[in-house]
Amino acid sequence: MNALADAGITGFYILEYKGMSPQDWKGFSIKEDPKSAIGLIKDYATDAVLVCSVVDEEKTDEIVESVMQALEGEKYTILEVPIRRIIVSHSDYEKERAETWLLEKEVPCFYCGENSVQRIRIDTSKAKIWCTNCGAARYYLIKGVEKEGR
Amino acid sequence: MAVKKWKLKKGANCYNCGDATIHDIEVDEFDIKIRCRDCGFSRYYSFHMVDLPRKCDVD
Repeated sequence: MNALADAGITGFYILEYKGMSPQDWKGFSIKEDPKSAIGLIKDYATDAVLVCSVVDEEKTDEIVESVMQALEGEKYTILEVPIRRIIVSHSDYEKERAETWLLEKEVPCFYCGENSVQRIRIDTSKAKIWCTNCGAARYYLIKGVEKEGR
Repeated sequence: MAVKKWKLKKGANCYNCGDATIHDIEVDEFDIKIRCRDCGFSRYYSFHMVDLPRKCDVD
């Protein structure tokens, strides 16, 4: 998750599942009934996690490289699929969702001094600003609100 | 290193008036101020803490 966030994703979802590779079931012959199939999965399948995220096309290579570095030595599969259309219905949650803002600004970091993207995440009660180069982060807490502007 | 004040803009639904408006965001070392250009509703955040990487992580 840290590698994905550092590479530029802004959201994701996770599905936990059990999976088997073709080489794992090669040579098996099971009865064609659901009980046998489920029993085989329980006994032989390995735990796996599917992480899904929608990202800008130009960020894809950077994200893939970052994930490959973070998962070095692990077994994984990366699928890159083009998205043709996204329809999002926020329903009644729109107001709440709108309250987490993500912004970026490229300036020298206060800690490492490198000119790099500083990410800013603001919600109703707190804010965080972190450097994508060194990871130095500053946290802010809500101090108050003012109904009318000065 | 001193941080120069950042001035940013964000289009979002205002928490107060509910309209999709531009919000001016000012960030410095100590404070963040967010103000809706439409209704003037402002939110103020103050610096809480800093989390720095280990020196070996920084080239």
